[in-house]
Amino acid sequence: MTTSTRSSRFEALGAYLPPTVLSTADLLARVSGTPDVDLERITGVAERRVYDPSPQAGEDSYGLALKAARECLANSRYAAAELDVVISASITRFKDGGRFTFEPSFARMLSQELGADAAIHFDVSNACAGMMTGVYLLDRMIRAGVVRNGLVVSGEQATKISETAAVELTDSYDPQFASLSVGDSAAAVILDESVDEADRIHYVDLMTCAEYAHLCMGMPSDRTQGIALYTDNKQMHTRDRLRLWPSFHGDLLAKQGRTFADEGFDYIIQHQVGTRFVEFVNATGEEEFGVAMPPSLNVVAWTGNTASTAHFLTLQQHLKAGSARQGAKFLLVPAASGVVTGALSATISTLGV
Amino acid sequence: MTTVITAASGVLPPAGQSGCTAVGLAALAARDCLATARLAPQSVGALINVGVYREANTFEPAMAALIQKEVGINLDYLANPGPAAFSFDLMNGACGVLNAVQVAQALLETASCDRVLVTAADVHPGGCAGDDPLYPYADLGGALLLERGTQPDRGFGRVRTWSRQGDPAVAGHLETATMGAGGRAVVTVVRDADREERLLEFTASVVADYARAEGLDLARTLVLCGRPAPDFGARLASCLNLDAAQVLASAPPGPSMEGTGEAHTAGPVLGYLQATAAGLPAGTEQLLLVTAGAGLSAACASYRPPLETGDTAL
Repeated sequence: MTTSTRSSRFEALGAYLPPTVLSTADLLARVSGTPDVDLERITGVAERRVYDPSPQAGEDSYGLALKAARECLANSRYAAAELDVVISASITRFKDGGRFTFEPSFARMLSQELGADAAIHFDVSNACAGMMTGVYLLDRMIRAGVVRNGLVVSGEQATKISETAAVELTDSYDPQFASLSVGDSAAAVILDESVDEADRIHYVDLMTCAEYAHLCMGMPSDRTQGIALYTDNKQMHTRDRLRLWPSFHGDLLAKQGRTFADEGFDYIIQHQVGTRFVEFVNATGEEEFGVAMPPSLNVVAWTGNTASTAHFLTLQQHLKAGSARQGAKFLLVPAASGVVTGALSATISTLGV
Repeated sequence: MTTVITAASGVLPPAGQSGCTAVGLAALAARDCLATARLAPQSVGALINVGVYREANTFEPAMAALIQKEVGINLDYLANPGPAAFSFDLMNGACGVLNAVQVAQALLETASCDRVLVTAADVHPGGCAGDDPLYPYADLGGALLLERGTQPDRGFGRVRTWSRQGDPAVAGHLETATMGAGGRAVVTVVRDADREERLLEFTASVVADYARAEGLDLARTLVLCGRPAPDFGARLASCLNLDAAQVLASAPPGPSMEGTGEAHTAGPVLGYLQATAAGLPAGTEQLLLVTAGAGLSAACASYRPPLETGDTAL
């Protein structure tokens, strides 16, 4: 085992949101079997960004990822050629329009286009915990001395599943109902070695509870032409599923003789499923940890659920707007199909955004 | 610290069974590994699935989570808050297993877990590779159980990777714009006419690079590579000025070896099993696993088996 005390940090962050806005009202107008429910009230999603289908817009999953990666590199002290690893985490891997790619890896194509040819490259696929999984692996590779730095990137053309849902949905109990609350986006983050506690990932740990792996499945539809996501929302978001995070996180802290209150988090970023989901998870955290949650940073009302990019898009938007301050301690909590939970604790003081 | 293979397994779909799945094949191989190592599912801390082609072209959740469920690892932390486990898919075409070894080395080195299970299963999305004459791969699953070694200088060496600019030579995708309502059962794999030549030249080049960088004596090494063409192993040996017996190009077993398709991500697992089944040839100090495929991407890692291993042969 390692005797190294190396840590990693967030060095640069980038994100891209397509300029086209689609309101929830306008989306519902396209749904053939219009659900008899107030989608905006249930999810808290007022609008989302949607990709421009024209090839020159470059807003398929690959193009979105490329834009976020370039933005991130522009905020970094590293040039692409200096990256030791490129990890792509897109769930939706659309390139050249409607081509859903299996090989080569997105990471290989992105590293070639960015000019990071010497970089180790691979894709990770872990549903909405994809970027968090990439960050977890990159943190371990930096701590183990395998690499000095790296890029984790994801572009999500998530509204492809909304298009299928709009055609096929029958009512609010339909397993594709959650597909109406997603939005398109991309995010990228560069990590390198931390030399200062003011910029450090203190820990990132993740867990998969596989009993519930079948509660959210994505695949092509067998009814119409399109990809679809089928979610058992009721089972996915029961109180017991929501308790997985505080239970796992609390045990992690207890092993080190600490408590949630000791951590002194300034902000918490939950997965951006919907405003009420975030409220439920934070309320569950308060009950389980017995302390108030720190201020919750959110973007879901205007971006929708942006899948694997959500935590890093939220971080980028709030740091850029000044609604989250540098020098603060952040807690990022994933919640993804699998089901995946965990905790990432980081102090961020000089992150380029 | 070194990383060693505690157990390995390769599985073909049961004869006469239609509709095989990557989850099923991977879980079977994973359970084989645990049985060989006499370990309970809860002893696995991380599960990395590197398969590329899968049933119904499923893109969520990670296939690794579905495999984890089949194997019975960390099903519900609330009901049984034992050691937690984490799983995810890692995909990089033919190089997935060696990238997973690279990641596993970091997980073990940082004490993130004690054992990593790597699964590599590819199936045609429709459930039977033989039904699609244009699909080049075999339905096949493999698994490696990795943990920290206790014998100095035994186990994996450094994993090194390479890329080549230009056309990817191999591309696999689903054309969603034309798939109609049948997208769960179709996939397109395009392979350039000069693929074999480019992979041969690339593989020879990275093996030579690796040997030079790591100070490896190729004369005392058994090279394990894929088999994009029947004579690939012999031609690679010739390129490297090695005896033909020093290169093992793995292929799925069985009488219809050339008819079932190529081994894809499970190739290195098959190679390892075939190389160690009867013990290493006299004078061989180590294995050198090399993979090259879509991208172009390539990866190499040496492996010196511990003095005792438990393997499940095909």
